[in-house]
Amino acid sequence: MRIVVCLKQIIDPELPASQFRIDAESKRQQPNGHPLVVSPYDENALELALKLKEQTGGHVAVLSVGQSSAVSALRKGLAMGADEAALISDPALEGSDAFGIATALAQGIQKLGHADLVLCGCESGDWADRTVGPIVAETLKIPCVTFVARVERQDRGVRVQRVVEEGYEVWEVTPPVLLTILSDETNIPRYPKVKDIMAASRRPIPPWSVSDLGLDASSVGKAVKRIEIQELTVPTRESRCELLEGDAQEQVATLITRLRERKVI
Amino acid sequence: MDFGLTQQQQLFQEMVREFAEKEVAPRAAEVDEEACFPAETVRMMGKLGLMGVTIPEAYGGAGADTICYAIAVEEISRACASTGVIMSINNSLVCDSIHTFGAEEQKRRLLIPLARGEKLGCYCLSEPDAGSDAANLQLTARAEGNHFLLNGVKNFITNGQEANIAIVFATVDRQLKHKGISAFLVEKGTPGFGVLKVEKKLGIRGTSCCQLLFENCRVPRENLLGGIGEGFNIAMASLDGGRIGIAAQAVGIARAAYEAALGYAKGRVQFGQPIASFQAIQFMLADMATTIDAARLLAYRAAILRDQGIQYGLEASMAKLYASEVAMCVTTKAIQIYGGYGYITDYPVQRYFRDAKVTEIYEGTSEIQRLVIAGHLVG
Amino acid sequence: MAGIVVLSKVENGVPSRSTLELLGGAQRLAAGLQAPVGAALLGQGDATSLYGYGVEIVFRVDHPLLKEYQADLHLIALERIARAAEPQVFLMPGDSLGRDLAARLAFRLKAGVVTEVIDMDVEASGKIPRFTRQAYGGKASAVMVPKAFPVVVTLKPRTFDPAAPAGDKQGREVSVEAPLDPEQARTRLVERVLEETTGVKLEDARVVVSGGRGLGGPEGFDPLVELARILKGAVGASRAATDAGWVPSSMQVGQTGKTVSPDLYVAVGISGATQHVAGITGAKTIVAINTDPESSIFKAAHLGIVGDYKAILPPLIARCRELMGG
Repeated sequence: MRIVVCLKQIIDPELPASQFRIDAESKRQQPNGHPLVVSPYDENALELALKLKEQTGGHVAVLSVGQSSAVSALRKGLAMGADEAALISDPALEGSDAFGIATALAQGIQKLGHADLVLCGCESGDWADRTVGPIVAETLKIPCVTFVARVERQDRGVRVQRVVEEGYEVWEVTPPVLLTILSDETNIPRYPKVKDIMAASRRPIPPWSVSDLGLDASSVGKAVKRIEIQELTVPTRESRCELLEGDAQEQVATLITRLRERKVI
Repeated sequence: MDFGLTQQQQLFQEMVREFAEKEVAPRAAEVDEEACFPAETVRMMGKLGLMGVTIPEAYGGAGADTICYAIAVEEISRACASTGVIMSINNSLVCDSIHTFGAEEQKRRLLIPLARGEKLGCYCLSEPDAGSDAANLQLTARAEGNHFLLNGVKNFITNGQEANIAIVFATVDRQLKHKGISAFLVEKGTPGFGVLKVEKKLGIRGTSCCQLLFENCRVPRENLLGGIGEGFNIAMASLDGGRIGIAAQAVGIARAAYEAALGYAKGRVQFGQPIASFQAIQFMLADMATTIDAARLLAYRAAILRDQGIQYGLEASMAKLYASEVAMCVTTKAIQIYGGYGYITDYPVQRYFRDAKVTEIYEGTSEIQRLVIAGHLVG
Repeated sequence: MAGIVVLSKVENGVPSRSTLELLGGAQRLAAGLQAPVGAALLGQGDATSLYGYGVEIVFRVDHPLLKEYQADLHLIALERIARAAEPQVFLMPGDSLGRDLAARLAFRLKAGVVTEVIDMDVEASGKIPRFTRQAYGGKASAVMVPKAFPVVVTLKPRTFDPAAPAGDKQGREVSVEAPLDPEQARTRLVERVLEETTGVKLEDARVVVSGGRGLGGPEGFDPLVELARILKGAVGASRAATDAGWVPSSMQVGQTGKTVSPDLYVAVGISGATQHVAGITGAKTIVAINTDPESSIFKAAHLGIVGDYKAILPPLIARCRELMGG
């Protein structure tokens, strides 16, 4: 089974709000040298792919659209156990919306060769649009199941657990298929081993440009975006947490008083 | 000259930091309060290759450079100083000693499981009457056929309770002074080898600090590390490497305290403004950041020299001396910035302060470092 | 018709809760754009009730293959409706259906897509709708505008007030043909597993008591269940706790779980990852109980207790029992 996992590199989403700044020009978060990480659910997707490979054999490739810094996200993918990595990086992609990114990813997936499974995180840790994965599926004309927690290999295809409000559904599908992956106790990302980090950091990952993918630069980027971010602002939060003092009994007594003042109990 | 990390080292740093923040830090307060050995964390570190960072892959290690080793100890110690020193000792004092001085058979039999983290090592040099004066060891080794009989007591042995393999320094003839000292690899379960006492400590409470008893402990001749009389050289060489580890540990503790203090100073409001806007606090933060950086650079310099195969004993001592005193100073200031909150156990800065102190003591006190440094200077 | 079309669901003759939320949003947008509201309805079901909430036209695809949910078939039907109705804005719920279909529908319509919208208004020109959503885990708020129409929009559940009845009105129904064929379904449903929750539904509860990694294990939830029972509330969990398998994922509160807006939210042993906090911003009072005074849950909370839940919950449960007589 050949699996492609799409990884997005983002600024650490757990950065304290006090360090969060907006770039007025691009209407994005200012990077300011903050740590860059692989978007959390993308790591769950990679872990799921690696587990499937361990069970049934196959090949796992990691693919990213981003700036040159995204090489480190891909290297992390390699260190975790992916066999191959590819980066799509081109100034023409800047300012793309979900459709531009998905167009590039879909071309990249095809350039990597045949894929039985394409896995994406169910949402990114920054914008959480939940759109790129399904659009990639449409672009590749393959079926799509969203918010999948588990995948099981079957004789003729895969059986997936799709998480819904009241529980989950089990769907069967014949590859190729795109799945967006939710975290689960079965796909907690592994930490790479030191020796694998060393090996991964020696692997060259030459970036693919838009023209390497056979795309016209005018088919992606700012010019073709369908949605514009008009404003990006930091909401002010006035509330300050009152820490209740004293031992457990006293804290509980104060808590009860406060809750009654607020008329919530 | 380049002060930046290579891409490989950066990648390594990111991943160790993530591991430390997610797996090590959340348990640190409990490890300290309960004085419990972080067995699960140590097992995970072994699987990842953090227990033999610089040991070649052929001997079960990760084959990384000494800068990576320093990065690892700093990041782990920033999360939990106890866990940091457990790995530091296993890496430098134990694995490196066997890798540098051990016979091929010893490396196959003992280094591989140690570097893989399947076994844990401890390093037994100090004795009740021989701390800084390491040449004056009392523990004796007497040859008897194909064995040596060890007799005596070792003091303040970190990992002493959990270790499976101990490097034990003993004298074959006290008249020979340091020329009589030899090193032995003693495996747990060897009759006559046992824990006499586990100390209660001020800091790094997640590590065991033991008094070990050797009573007619029969060690097979094939467990002699290096030759007879080579022990003092082994001890001094391994301590040079160990000092890079302790310098990195001190930097890690100091950084934890500094980062906590910086965050607190920005959030704590007094007289209507965050205390970070007061110059008295700013100056403290500036000094903390500057000295931490200087300490790290000293540690990295010693590490680079080691990787280049150049003598680095002087530089390692300078790094260890400076970094440990920085750690003490920075953690003291961090408590000051926290004020009353720094003195209570709800907040971790008091732990950093307690953990920092030992870095000025073990693997050569600050006074010994000054002696070593002065020795290099004045001959 | 060029207006707003709302993907609707009618249960037992009345619009579902999420449909009412969409209609509530649509009414506001329709007033600003001075445009009509239509409804998209799949399968059978009595559309009459929709007219009472300002719907003027119901576009219906009725086909036996739409009885059970299947993404490919639903998508074909929705595309047909969108082409027939030609709306400016196609509104969908931001639930499991929206996740599956919104972006794919937008692709097929060559439309833009905005998801998880929490507020809507119309630019001064009266022509361009503006959609507000959170970004960066709630650290920022973004206003998105479409550069072309149509635009597919999903609304974050439990964010918009359900529509109020707009009086006794009449509308008309348009039947839309969709050539559906079982071969078009590329995924096959094997089973649907409901994770039974006893008592109040998490999304509807006035009191929610949630637990996280700090509980240490599944047994840590026992006192939370007891507290929730006494306060007639529901029990939730952070992603860390559901990922660890301590409780079912249907109990997860947060961006990828349930959005809750109770009067009282009690977070026990939860660190306060942005992912989690994004799901509780609507809570009126947030109480955090955590051993780590530095954990970010205290930044989101109104009242905080630094301490071990094992010491705090027993006296809290005892006091609540006295007050509530549970």
